[in-house]
Amino acid sequence: MSFHDLYRHVLEDLVTGFSTDRNANHLAVARRPAILSVLAAAGQETSVAEALHAVENAAPRFCGPSEWLLVSRTLSAEHLADALFDIRGALVVDQSEGKVLLSISGPAVRTVLAKCVAVDLHPEAFAMGQSANALICHLPGNIARTGDDEFEIVTPRSFAVSVFEELLEMGREHGLTRNFTE
Amino acid sequence: MASLITCPHCGTRPKEEFSIRGAAGPERPSPTARDEDWHRYVYVRDNPKGRYQEHWHHVAGCRRWLVVDRDNLSHEVFGVTDAAEFERARVAK
Repeated sequence: MSFHDLYRHVLEDLVTGFSTDRNANHLAVARRPAILSVLAAAGQETSVAEALHAVENAAPRFCGPSEWLLVSRTLSAEHLADALFDIRGALVVDQSEGKVLLSISGPAVRTVLAKCVAVDLHPEAFAMGQSANALICHLPGNIARTGDDEFEIVTPRSFAVSVFEELLEMGREHGLTRNFTE
Repeated sequence: MASLITCPHCGTRPKEEFSIRGAAGPERPSPTARDEDWHRYVYVRDNPKGRYQEHWHHVAGCRRWLVVDRDNLSHEVFGVTDAAEFERARVAK
């Protein structure tokens, strides 16, 4: 049994089978990212936030006051949870199996996202590394800017198919392609 | 998306991201208060025309309860505060 049979991604059937070359505008699905939900105990919000920003190879995503998602493509969830164990006042829950990480990039990325995200994503309004919880294609999710023209979306697994299909539809006029990334 | 609410945690967002609970004005009586007071708190509302304060839940954003001070006729928004801060300010009064 191969690795991909053991960990079958929820978008497996929607991504595989289409062997198109990657266009400038592209939607990449992370195959097995680590996504942890972190809550800070009352009064420890700032110290937990600083500690989360200091974690290497992982990026904290702002969800609300005293709540973050910690996302990593390279580290395992267990490894990350161990690294967070020492942070005082941080309550960590592994959400990797319950969330899906999408990465959308390209010169037309803001035009595509403007159709389904009501957050101002202009480079001057939404800085690099900034993130926000918002409605994404009518469903709650988290959006973060990870590059000049690159955004990452974290969406609950059960909503992923709907969000994915809608993003592809929004990006069709710009030739949005898709694939899996490790 | 005409109605925009400026969430103190998330910034300006459309009303579709929120869920409205109702008036933020009524104060919860003490557990030993008379039945009439509890009846008034649970069931009786003024339903004013014009400016009033409402509990809004930012469901699709920070998931915090907010108090939106708005005019329900013109939908002009005068201010949005976190419900916890609103309650703290009310207790301090």
